[in-house]
Amino acid sequence: MVISITHEDFDVNAMIQSRKAPEVGGLVSFVGIVRDDGITKIELEAFEEAALEELNLIKDEAFEKFPLMSVDIIHRIGMLNVGDNLLLILVAAGHRKEAFDGCEYILERIKETVQIWKKEYTKDGERWVPGEHH
Amino acid sequence: MIITIKAFARFREILGSETTEEVPEGITLAGLLEQIAGKNPKIKTALYEGDNTLRRYVILMQNKKRVNQEDVQTIVLSDGDEIAIYPPVAGG
Repeated sequence: MVISITHEDFDVNAMIQSRKAPEVGGLVSFVGIVRDDGITKIELEAFEEAALEELNLIKDEAFEKFPLMSVDIIHRIGMLNVGDNLLLILVAAGHRKEAFDGCEYILERIKETVQIWKKEYTKDGERWVPGEHH
Repeated sequence: MIITIKAFARFREILGSETTEEVPEGITLAGLLEQIAGKNPKIKTALYEGDNTLRRYVILMQNKKRVNQEDVQTIVLSDGDEIAIYPPVAGG
């Protein structure tokens, strides 16, 4: 299983292929990509040690809550362009419901607590994407 | 004693990504924040409301453990502690 914060892109198909196993009945992936909100590019910044610890905690929580076979989370940081991959969550389970539920749980928890921030660049300047206070 | 301060996102732009602060023995986390705010009006405005209460959205970690804002007055820092300051997260 891969839990990482990286400047590198990821290969979704290769990851899916590598997680197929006889007992796996479903793989749910969430691929977050950079949306064009009138931006020219976006910069992602992380408190890497804390964010990695938090991602591992979220993975452990997901395993406690749902009967999952594997969990991979790759969050990119650095300067990205519209259409670039930003986040991969890949969850394998025996059946579809736990795979979907596990993937959604992980995504919502990432948005709540993982120490990553986004700064958007537009032709008029730059702005921090506001986070929600928890 | 020496405390390391790490700041992220909009706080990094004001405080710098990593700085060290010399503080007296027995200082509380609230005392550290007041000390750094006293050095620079921009830091003060970023951290505090007009009535000198800590802005609600300021998130603090001590040695990578999240700190409740209600506890800043009672947390006594130790030499070598690392304090992280950041705004609400926006990943995913």
